[in-house]
Amino acid sequence: MGLKAVVNSPSPAASTDESGAVEVTNVGHVYETASGTTEALTDISFRVETGRFVSIVGPSGCGKSSLLMMIAGLVQPTRGTIIAGGRPLVQPDPTRIGVVFQDASLYPWLTARSNVEFPLSLRHVDRKIRRERAEAALELVGLAGFADKHPHELSGGMKQRVALARGLVQDPPILLMDEPFAALDEQTRLTMGDEVLRIWERTRKTIIFVTHGLSEAIHLSDEVLVLTSRPGKLVDRVAVDLPRPRSFEVMGGRRFEELRERIWQRIRS
Amino acid sequence: MNTATVRSTGARVIPAPVARAALVAALIAVWQVAPTIGLVDPRLLPPPSVVGPMIVHLFGESGFQGHLATTLLETVIAFLVSVPVGFILAILIGENKYASDIFKPLVFFVFSIPKSIFLPLFIFAFGISFHQKVAFGVFSTLFIVMMLSFAAIESVRRDHLVVARSYGATRMQTVLRVYLPGMTPVLLEAIRVSMIFNFTGILLAEMYASREGLGNVIEQWGQGFQLDRLMATIVVIAAIAIVFNETIRALESRCEHWRE
Repeated sequence: MGLKAVVNSPSPAASTDESGAVEVTNVGHVYETASGTTEALTDISFRVETGRFVSIVGPSGCGKSSLLMMIAGLVQPTRGTIIAGGRPLVQPDPTRIGVVFQDASLYPWLTARSNVEFPLSLRHVDRKIRRERAEAALELVGLAGFADKHPHELSGGMKQRVALARGLVQDPPILLMDEPFAALDEQTRLTMGDEVLRIWERTRKTIIFVTHGLSEAIHLSDEVLVLTSRPGKLVDRVAVDLPRPRSFEVMGGRRFEELRERIWQRIRS
Repeated sequence: MNTATVRSTGARVIPAPVARAALVAALIAVWQVAPTIGLVDPRLLPPPSVVGPMIVHLFGESGFQGHLATTLLETVIAFLVSVPVGFILAILIGENKYASDIFKPLVFFVFSIPKSIFLPLFIFAFGISFHQKVAFGVFSTLFIVMMLSFAAIESVRRDHLVVARSYGATRMQTVLRVYLPGMTPVLLEAIRVSMIFNFTGILLAEMYASREGLGNVIEQWGQGFQLDRLMATIVVIAAIAIVFNETIRALESRCEHWRE
């Protein structure tokens, strides 16, 4: 397969730690519509090593969100296999994978703390432990003083922080983020990007981040996966060789522009 | 609040609650004054100074107490039957696409028919009885409960369900922790509106043919030209309806931000 050459090109640092590794093999997704079957994703294969920050970009409708939902175990692929944390995934497993959705999707009838506790309470974790871990997660995302607020009392950025805390509260080795900052304003989006990087550097989780923002993807990631649409196909894996931390200077530099240009060309082709 | 900046501020000199209370007081004053000065026949419109003491008097009459108890009991039983039954039927229908396609249009058809035209049939089926009143109350209420329950189920946000699934919620946990709280605001509205249909159905059945109940005495006292008693009963029924409605509305406003 011609894809193999592309897939292997960035040569990620080989790792034997499978706890946070994600391996997607020949995944395809076909769904039925009134006018017949539509091929949403075709023959997607890639591997993400433990502790890496990988973004998936592509035009809207390329199936990048569907792909993420499959890695989360929320949607079953029509073809192919997905292995996360060393084991195949047949249904959502919150101890392996935390998910942060595009809309914060917090429960408006619960406080910030109870929203963060929600995944733990589903598993009947002891009330005291639940509380401690929720508070620790809220502190990690910088919301220590807001535990008793309800979502309608929080700004858009704060809601996403709560959602992030909810994704982190069970300390899963893998965190999936589905266009988490798409609904936020530019300034908040930049702040949240730095926030995610700070948390990633502290926790060293594997993060797979779906976005339509090319700059955001380059800014955050070790590697950017490029998908095209109809059917969604993995056309490029771009290793981001910019030094961290990535200052404004780096982000305005020539290498950044080159990477951005390359990804843009691949999306358009 | 911020509408004040859009609308003319002149109209806001008196706070709305004060203005509302003043309006009600003015209407009661007109009701008092008009019959007293002979603007309307006091036999046709007994003033509050007559109706007020009559309400107190009626509550002391064992006959009226019985009528009140009968109507309230019929109303409560019909309500306790129609709301859960309608809700469960709506869930069974709403959860299944095939059942929805079959039953939803039928529920809409029946809902659109004025229920009062079936009263004679209920008398044939149940006789003029307590059961007949309850059955008609249930029949009057069931379809609005189902329609509003469909809306309540649909008001649960898809993404809230996806979150629950992604965190491994069981089916039961999803129902109790996401569906129920998620549809509570719309469900409270359903309960409130259903009670209006329910109470109306019971009173209508009593007014049409009965031996007891508030609808029965309204019919009797209307026919018998006892307008002081009639007006007093109207005030009592209105008060019961308003108190129930406002109680549920207060609960609704407490979870208003859930809809965001």
